[in-house]
Amino acid sequence: MELVGRIFALAVAAIFVQNFVLSRFLGLCPYIGVSKKLDSAIGMGMAVVFVMTMASTITWMIQYFLLKPLHIEFLQTIAFILTIASLVQLVEMVIQKTAPALYKSLGVFLPLITTNCAVLGVSILNINEQLTFFGAILNGLFGGLGFTLVLILMAGIRERLEKADIPQAMRGMPIAMIVAGSMAMAFLGFSGMSL
Amino acid sequence: MKYYLRMGLTLLLIAVIAGGILAVVNDYTAPIIKQTKLQTEVQARREVLPSATFFVKDSIAVAKAKTKRNPLKIVQDTSSDTSFFIYYKGFSADSTLAGYCYIASLYGYSSNVKTMVGVTPEMTINKIKVISQQETPGLGANCEKAEFQAGFNTLDAAALHVDKDGGAVKSITGATITSRAITNSIRAGLEILNKQASGSAAPETQKEV
Amino acid sequence: MALKEFTKGFVKENPVFVMALGLCPTLAVTSSVNNAVGMGLAATFVLMCSNLLVSLVKDVIPSKIRIPSFIVIIASFVTIVDLSMSAFLPALHKSLGLFIPLIVVNCIILGRAEAFASKNNPLNSVLDGLGMGLGFTMALMIIASIREILGAGQFFGMQVLPTSYRPMLVAILAPGAFIVMGLLMGLMNIAKNKKK
Repeated sequence: MELVGRIFALAVAAIFVQNFVLSRFLGLCPYIGVSKKLDSAIGMGMAVVFVMTMASTITWMIQYFLLKPLHIEFLQTIAFILTIASLVQLVEMVIQKTAPALYKSLGVFLPLITTNCAVLGVSILNINEQLTFFGAILNGLFGGLGFTLVLILMAGIRERLEKADIPQAMRGMPIAMIVAGSMAMAFLGFSGMSL
Repeated sequence: MKYYLRMGLTLLLIAVIAGGILAVVNDYTAPIIKQTKLQTEVQARREVLPSATFFVKDSIAVAKAKTKRNPLKIVQDTSSDTSFFIYYKGFSADSTLAGYCYIASLYGYSSNVKTMVGVTPEMTINKIKVISQQETPGLGANCEKAEFQAGFNTLDAAALHVDKDGGAVKSITGATITSRAITNSIRAGLEILNKQASGSAAPETQKEV
Repeated sequence: MALKEFTKGFVKENPVFVMALGLCPTLAVTSSVNNAVGMGLAATFVLMCSNLLVSLVKDVIPSKIRIPSFIVIIASFVTIVDLSMSAFLPALHKSLGLFIPLIVVNCIILGRAEAFASKNNPLNSVLDGLGMGLGFTMALMIIASIREILGAGQFFGMQVLPTSYRPMLVAILAPGAFIVMGLLMGLMNIAKNKKK
């Protein structure tokens, strides 16, 4: 029972309190770039959840089974980014072979994920915060879910904004930023919650 | 096939060169990083206990802390049920005891707040200095301001509670959680020191710094 | 000709305001001007070095492994910056924290390597990197100035507004970053439309 409680605490922390997009400022490019349509937001979100969980798992193992024993922690950045790049490539190939239908909906988003800083960000954060192996996996999973949540919310709002009468200069990106600001303000209410 | 081989080798070569260069840079910077880290800690110790000219590291065995959010810099001893509270004794030039200092740390609002604490031989706070925090800018982060830190001077363990909890520490406006974390972590350390001072056994000296 | 490569990064192709690249560090480190300048210069250094190296080795690297090679080159320079900053500017290193290693995935840098340096000579590439980097720094400074002055009444850590001014806290918190950025982008659009 205690375990369930801890997992729940971790979930709330990663999804709401320390949301990757709105409080840590990670993964903003896709947040603004892929949030015009609800469908693509859902696709992107799913791809990010998947890659973030996988990346957390593998980079944690690389850090503790490879970099640390060999005392080459200074190669962390290179090792992690290469791992993520290859991982994304691999996932793309596997999905293409095994699940063409899924590939059709996720495929276009996968290459974009390599340069999504939320993925590299969660990998480094897991190490910096000295999380355990399962902590790292869950942090990746819930971090990704938090990203998906705000991405979908954003897409929903922006689809409605299409029909709104916004001053010419503020259309598109500027108004998306203001909306993001309001969302961040709402999420600020979660911060400091101690679980 | 040959093409793939060439690709693989080129990539390998680039990675090896990059690794080599970074190893050199790391070799050069690692000692400096270590040095600056040590120096900032020594500097902070001097700041909170200016009358001391040298410090001697010491430790007190305490019951193993159960929580992860440990209020003090306690080194866990994995082999037994005890852990050690690390502190420093400060001495003035003629080797009389000038006071104690230790690092108190506790999770505040959004980060671990670490404070260097200087204590007089009479077990009151001489001075404190927040040495690391990532609290909310403009609210909790104000704990780095001198006005807040000066509010701790001359307090003893009994008075070390934030004003909302009936103590003498004036908490930061809008950041009671941060203030409370700092105050409580400092008090926990002072209580251990107090117990030690009233006890009889002289602690074993470990290492001079 | 070469001068044009240098100056285009300031206004015409400003990476932040016009191309909306590298948003994460732009919003994350601009709560104080100090951090903004540190981040900007770190990125400028990486951008210049990686542009130079990419343009030097562009003919040797098979096109299929272009991107991974660029990433390794960029990541190496980022690590160099990370280590040296931690050694010589520990305070700045601490406050920028996670965002130093994240320069690797800053789209501006990979973008310039791929779009410019891999097609141009070393001199132009360095100038392009320097210009883009300084343009990025400038954008960060503008955002940070607004946020720091409104949110703390300070500029570079010095009090500039009278102490009777009650800081608009929201400006240095997360929402302020988005809102200031949105308003600035809107202003840029107005300026652009006027020109036409």
